[in-house]
Amino acid sequence: MIKINNLSKIFRTELIETHALKNIQLHVSEGEFVALTGPSGSGKSTLLNVLGTLEHFDSGDYLLDGQSVKGLSDKALSALRNEKIGFIFQGFNLIKDYSLFDNIELPLRYRGFNAAERKRRVEHALEQVGLAARRDYHPSQLSGGQQQRVAIARAIAGQPRILLADEPTGNLDSLMARQVMELLEQINQNGCTILMVTHDPEQARRAGRQVQIIDGQLSDAAMYDPLAHNNAHAQSSPVAVA
Amino acid sequence: MEQFLYYLKVSLKSIRRAPLPYALTILILSLGLGVFFANATFYYRLNADPLPHKSDKLFFPFMNLVPYECQNCEPPNVLSYSNVQKLSATDIPSAKAAMYSADGYLRLTPQQPPLPVKIRLTQPDFFRMFEVPFLHGSVWPDASARAEVILSRHTAEKLFGETDVVGRRLTLDDFEYTVSAVLADWTMLPRLFDANNNNHLSEVEDIYLPLETGYDRNYLSNSQSSSFQDADYRKLATDGRTKAIHQLQFWVQLDTPEQQQAYRQFMANLTADEKKAGRHPSTINNRLVGMRDIVAHFNQQGGDIKAFALVTLLFLLVCLFNASHLSLNRYIANQYEISLRRALGASRWHIQQQAMADVLLMAGITSVAALLIGYSGISLMNYLLPANRLFSSWDWALLLSLLAVTLGCSYLVTLYPSLRASFGALNQQLKE
Amino acid sequence: MISLHLILKSMLRRKVVTSLLLVQLALTLALLSNSSLLALQTWNQLSQPTGLDLDNILYVSLKPTSKNLQEYPAFADLLERQLAAVRQMPGVAAVSFTNQSPLMEGGSNGNVNDENNRENNTQSVPQYTVSPDFLKVLQLDVLEGEIPQKIEAWDGESTVPVVLTKSLAERVFPGKSAIGQLTNGGPVAAVIEDFYGQRNAERVMYNRLQIAQIYGVAWGYGIILRVEPGQAQHIRSQIPDVLKTADSNIEIFSVRTMDEQLHRMFRNEFGLATLLAVLSGLMLLVSMISSYSNAHFNALKRQQEIGIKRALGASKHSILLEMLTENWCTTAAGAGVGIVAAWLLNQALALVISIPALPVWLPLSALLMLMCCVTLATWYPATIATRVSPATATKTL
Repeated sequence: MIKINNLSKIFRTELIETHALKNIQLHVSEGEFVALTGPSGSGKSTLLNVLGTLEHFDSGDYLLDGQSVKGLSDKALSALRNEKIGFIFQGFNLIKDYSLFDNIELPLRYRGFNAAERKRRVEHALEQVGLAARRDYHPSQLSGGQQQRVAIARAIAGQPRILLADEPTGNLDSLMARQVMELLEQINQNGCTILMVTHDPEQARRAGRQVQIIDGQLSDAAMYDPLAHNNAHAQSSPVAVA
Repeated sequence: MEQFLYYLKVSLKSIRRAPLPYALTILILSLGLGVFFANATFYYRLNADPLPHKSDKLFFPFMNLVPYECQNCEPPNVLSYSNVQKLSATDIPSAKAAMYSADGYLRLTPQQPPLPVKIRLTQPDFFRMFEVPFLHGSVWPDASARAEVILSRHTAEKLFGETDVVGRRLTLDDFEYTVSAVLADWTMLPRLFDANNNNHLSEVEDIYLPLETGYDRNYLSNSQSSSFQDADYRKLATDGRTKAIHQLQFWVQLDTPEQQQAYRQFMANLTADEKKAGRHPSTINNRLVGMRDIVAHFNQQGGDIKAFALVTLLFLLVCLFNASHLSLNRYIANQYEISLRRALGASRWHIQQQAMADVLLMAGITSVAALLIGYSGISLMNYLLPANRLFSSWDWALLLSLLAVTLGCSYLVTLYPSLRASFGALNQQLKE
Repeated sequence: MISLHLILKSMLRRKVVTSLLLVQLALTLALLSNSSLLALQTWNQLSQPTGLDLDNILYVSLKPTSKNLQEYPAFADLLERQLAAVRQMPGVAAVSFTNQSPLMEGGSNGNVNDENNRENNTQSVPQYTVSPDFLKVLQLDVLEGEIPQKIEAWDGESTVPVVLTKSLAERVFPGKSAIGQLTNGGPVAAVIEDFYGQRNAERVMYNRLQIAQIYGVAWGYGIILRVEPGQAQHIRSQIPDVLKTADSNIEIFSVRTMDEQLHRMFRNEFGLATLLAVLSGLMLLVSMISSYSNAHFNALKRQQEIGIKRALGASKHSILLEMLTENWCTTAAGAGVGIVAAWLLNQALALVISIPALPVWLPLSALLMLMCCVTLATWYPATIATRVSPATATKTL
């Protein structure tokens, strides 16, 4: 699903991030649930952003679902992101002024689906995260956990192949964090590959595989990860989470 | 004071942080105000009352006393010599003067090159009615013909090089005259006694001649004259006095409502008698028009200045909307800082005072820019509409009111945004 | 891809800002349409047919400065000397005296009517007293009858024959030949082509000529001449000296081409139209500034939102389009109100000046122009907005 060979990134401008990525080597198979751990500022988020094509890299190769990302135009990258990748951020990043429905519908619009198709998918996604009744609410009317579930609904509405989650439970209390984790596991079981950045060792353990990044380099252990534990999946029915 | 200086410093800092939006706000506001200033200047001056304590007592009588039949006609804008004689034959007015203007050539000696001059031909009450100040000499004792002229100060200086020239002699259009008086500096804008053909927009005349002398010497009006019967207008001394050659303006001073009523009655009686005698074939249409209404009566209210006034007002409105929009954006961008100050203990009053410092700073910069733009606007208007060029100067009263308008506009532009900033929910902004 | 519904929602949310923008756009459109209308009207007036060769006819306005020279016979002698001096100038094709110039607001004018039918009266017809060469100067063809060749004097006894322009002849003597007919001013000797006389007349092409001495010079008089093409500027600079050489006791008020006369006649309209055009330009500038700053501010304020959208798969192109569309929507909404405002302003202006009714296409083209300006002004800040790094914008603080 994801093949990264010798990938490096150097920051040339004065941004908040000070670490770069050095010779990253990472393969993720379809259906894996990978936890990306490491100390603050080690390059976890940068790696996630590069994986999500939100940031460019300087050297190496990145094959996403067999397709090389290098040299793609903004338009092609945007389409790739839209179709294949779902994002979940620590800060939820919902658009405050939009209703839940409008928020979830947004990536489907960029995809070019017609209104009926969008409606079907949004409602399905809302059902999956258990917020079907609140489609016309605005994000500010929801709790943090609910907001993150909306963000997850937005991420999965387009049925992406990969879900990239950047500390999805970082802003949540433990109860809500657990609910979100359960939801993610559910999605993973439905066949979606997940890469999750986390600080929480407990959560990292729950993932199928852990990858550690220190100073922009994957730690040795991670490089020799055994075979994916979870290669094949049966299509299972959607799971409603309360 | 120290506190105010601090507020000013804060204002300057916030400007330096984002100079472009501030500059644009100032630019837009001063554009609107500058254009408004330029037009307001003309509007104010053109509609000024040159004799505020007296203009409601001065009247121009019009009547349809002409030797042709015309139903529902407006009376002519100028009167004939015999019209004026008839309208003068009463003691009701406190003062009365007929007048017109002509062109002439002035010399000290016949050998000198001529000085083209504008002449007002009038009667002694003219100077009393319009409060014309004298520097030397005095007005003619009566309205009869005499070879005596009254000079404007400027003309006396130009011709003689000095002002005390009473008793000196000069040549006007080949005739010799004695100077009987020299006027002190006198301007009257607009010159409402001469509103025919938009002449009220021009300067006062250079030299004054008794009306009777003007008729004797066949001076024809340079602005408006009409013949309503077969008459030789070159023979004013004869035909001009007896026939329907109309070229005179006639003003009467009627101090009280009773006087005004009495004079109206006098006019009614006069036209009724004339009609009975068969000399007034048209329908009677008497008018006694006050000085304040004379421009409207001649239908010369400068539609272009009015139209432009309407449009500049709209433009100012647009600029105000725009500038407040820009400044709202600026304040919203600064909202975090304002909230921080509030959290540190600044009261709403403090924030409002900060806003006042902003207003003053903005008003200061804007007035300078607006006056500059206003000045260029006036120059452009003088070039494009030269007829109004005498009405383009600023005096203190005008300048101060313009500055007050600037302050008001700056306040309006800053008020709403600052209110919004200071009354915004405190915790919410800090959390964001 | 872009949801109008969402754009409208976002506009409604910023009620104050949006309504400020709307009012301003509406007023801009109103002003832009009406000043273009006025400019158009002036341009039409300036380019209407005058029947005159505007560039090659010069008019000298002048007056003798001594009483003696202002009266006959000295004045007739002065005229003769002046015309002879001008005629000798190289490049002068024809020259005549006249009491007044064509292409004026008003001047000497009077009634013209059929002496046998006084009911049919034409008022304010310009009355010219000229020498026979006047027609050569203006290059006017004689359509009927003959131009008298003798310059009549005003002795108060004999009547002086009149020459009418074609449209006046048809007005006074409808359906018949005017030649030999008696007017209140004298018998008609000839009918000539139309030319533009005075703006305040009943019709600008109504004119009455008499081959006669100038009646009086209290208002000055004119020497009118036709010059060879290309000679106008040269002769204009020479002619004051030539006239002063003929007799120095004169004041020359002005020397103008007919084209300048025409422009002077519409000076007020031209001035007002120019002022309004300048103002319209300023308004467009102000609209552009406001569109620019609005888009700029929006881009700053919505960095996060744009970043999220980019992360969700919006291309730079679609972000740009979204921002432009938002501005177009505001402009279109403002223009909707603006078309009504334009009509209202047109009515208000018609109360104080003469302005034609607003044709439909004018506010529409003003709208188009406004759209172009707004797009231009939004482009740069919108492009900046698309450069928002989705990685940075979506980062949690």
